[in-house]
Amino acid sequence: MSDSVIRIVSIYPSLLGTYGDGGNVLALSHRARMHGLTTEVAEISPGQAVPRHGDLYVLGGGEDTAQVAAADALRADRGLAQAISNGASLLAICAGYQLIGEEFPDATGTPSPGVGILDIRTDRLPKRAVGELLATPSPNAPAKLTEPLTGYENHAGATHLGPDALPLAQVESGVGNGDVSEGAISGRVVGTYLHGPCLARNPQLADLLLGWVLDRDLEPLVEREVEELRAERLDYVRRSGR
Amino acid sequence: MSRKLRTRVAIRAGKLASATSRIAGKGEGMVVGGRVMLKLAPDAIADLANGRVAALVSATNGKTSTTRLLANAAEQRGPVVTAATGANMTSGVVTTLAAGPPDAMAILEVDEAYLPMVTAATKPQVILLGNLSRDQLDRMNEVAMTARKWRTMLAANPDVTVVANADDPIVTFAAEQAQHVVWVGGGQVWTADSAVCPECGTLLTRDDVQWHCTGCGRKRPETTWELRWDKGAGTAVSKSGLELDLSALQLPGRFNASNATLAVAVCEQLGFDLAESVKRMCEVTAVSGRYAVVDVGATRLRLLLAKNPAGWTELIDVMPPAPAPVIVSINSNAADGRDPSWLWDVPFERLRGRTVIASGDRRRDLAVRLLHADVDHVVIADPYAPDAPLPEQARALDVIDNAATYTAFHELRTRAQREAQP
Ligand SMILES: [Zn+2]
Repeated sequence: MSDSVIRIVSIYPSLLGTYGDGGNVLALSHRARMHGLTTEVAEISPGQAVPRHGDLYVLGGGEDTAQVAAADALRADRGLAQAISNGASLLAICAGYQLIGEEFPDATGTPSPGVGILDIRTDRLPKRAVGELLATPSPNAPAKLTEPLTGYENHAGATHLGPDALPLAQVESGVGNGDVSEGAISGRVVGTYLHGPCLARNPQLADLLLGWVLDRDLEPLVEREVEELRAERLDYVRRSGR
Repeated sequence: MSRKLRTRVAIRAGKLASATSRIAGKGEGMVVGGRVMLKLAPDAIADLANGRVAALVSATNGKTSTTRLLANAAEQRGPVVTAATGANMTSGVVTTLAAGPPDAMAILEVDEAYLPMVTAATKPQVILLGNLSRDQLDRMNEVAMTARKWRTMLAANPDVTVVANADDPIVTFAAEQAQHVVWVGGGQVWTADSAVCPECGTLLTRDDVQWHCTGCGRKRPETTWELRWDKGAGTAVSKSGLELDLSALQLPGRFNASNATLAVAVCEQLGFDLAESVKRMCEVTAVSGRYAVVDVGATRLRLLLAKNPAGWTELIDVMPPAPAPVIVSINSNAADGRDPSWLWDVPFERLRGRTVIASGDRRRDLAVRLLHADVDHVVIADPYAPDAPLPEQARALDVIDNAATYTAFHELRTRAQREAQP
């Protein structure tokens, strides 16, 4: 990080942005502003080079063909992998989560190569997972994550974590990775099936990502609208399943 | 006109089921009646259509309004059967065909996913294809998948004439498969679902009017009709130099002028008098409650249906300018889509400068979205109650715009109808 501006890079929002994923970038800028920080957002289109010197990268969800196109472009470009190995942070949602792994299924179910940033492999769930997803941060997740994670999932992927990735959370309701775990975390890389979008509904996760960029913990700040939404969603899921 | 006995029996059973459903208070009963009919006579649609279907209308947004405009224009030729309620799946189509005079011309709205099936069964003269964008992704097909199904459908029905929006690259991709296409420049404000070429995946290049793909060479086809939109008034302009003034349309906004331009192109294909067609389109004031002014509780509302980001993008222009407050009602029942994540794709930032009254089952999701958009808002479960804590500016308005998702819209409409009864 330089000049106290947090450089957020939104990767291929035109390809990956199916479920309001743009909201995660908005939420990062919004939380940063609350903490008195300044952000600068770069939206990268397919064909454009991924900047090597961003602080925080965001990847959203997308349709099968878009997912394969995005993975191919990111592998060829190599900028994202380089930025991560230089210490940048990454949030990857749904299709974005799958494609930063080793492999994921394409539209026909055939394994397609991922970007290889996260030690996960994805194949198909027996049945598509659609509905509210509620998960509790797992013991190995950063201590700053204390509140339940809430969102909506809509995917057909069963994601298997290798030894270099740890589960982000344990599923309380929903499917997540398919084995009662949800998402993955490795260094400053977070992948998750939560959308909704994820960071607007889970401000602790937004603050964790921003804190990584700053190398310090951020003060907990509470917003009434967000807390009311969280309370309503948690109550809804715990009462009615999903 | 001789209908098969089987169809006639099915119609009678269907009407009975519809009536039972209506009496039981379960709405119009069209879907139930249609299902019963199709069960008893699976080829009832083909039998009832019998060469009289002039046009099918499909699109993600605006199909109900466009169908209504077109049906009004078609009445210059005599009675027209068309669904008044937007019943647009197979069951709704069969009920609509069974309800009207058996020889009347039919103008039908069809759900995007059901269009191939209904086309095969009804053999329409013209199909109007308006736009395709994300809508309730947790239950609908992917946009690109729908386009591919439309392509297959058009390849299998070479006799049909297609009137298609050249400004929507996904619609263009689907329609280019047809033998006869009339391209219309209807405009496209929402481009997020057609950022990349549906054929080769290359990012599309756009300027104000044109779009093209550097990967496979696809480009915006040359149009026969164009909408010219200037200072809030539309004109349908033909390549041959004809200009039809659409400024007297009572359905508001650029989007409805675009719907009318597409409908004019269909009228031309059907041989209607075009001046007369436009005159009749201008008589349409509200379509299944859309844009209708109604009283709900202590509030007089103009009802706006807003169910997806593309629709919203157009609708914001129709609202009175800031600081006029608006009510927004968001539900997430099955018909709305269970997942309101699409709220984050709506450019709510454009509502800045006014207070938004957030309502509906998912008013808290909306409130968080508005918070991030820097839009002043209040969350009120029932803003229509006499003692609702509405902002003062809202009380001062004669009519307040209320944009609502599908089921929220119908709740308001039903409540207004109920309260209007003496
Ligand atoms: Zn192309």
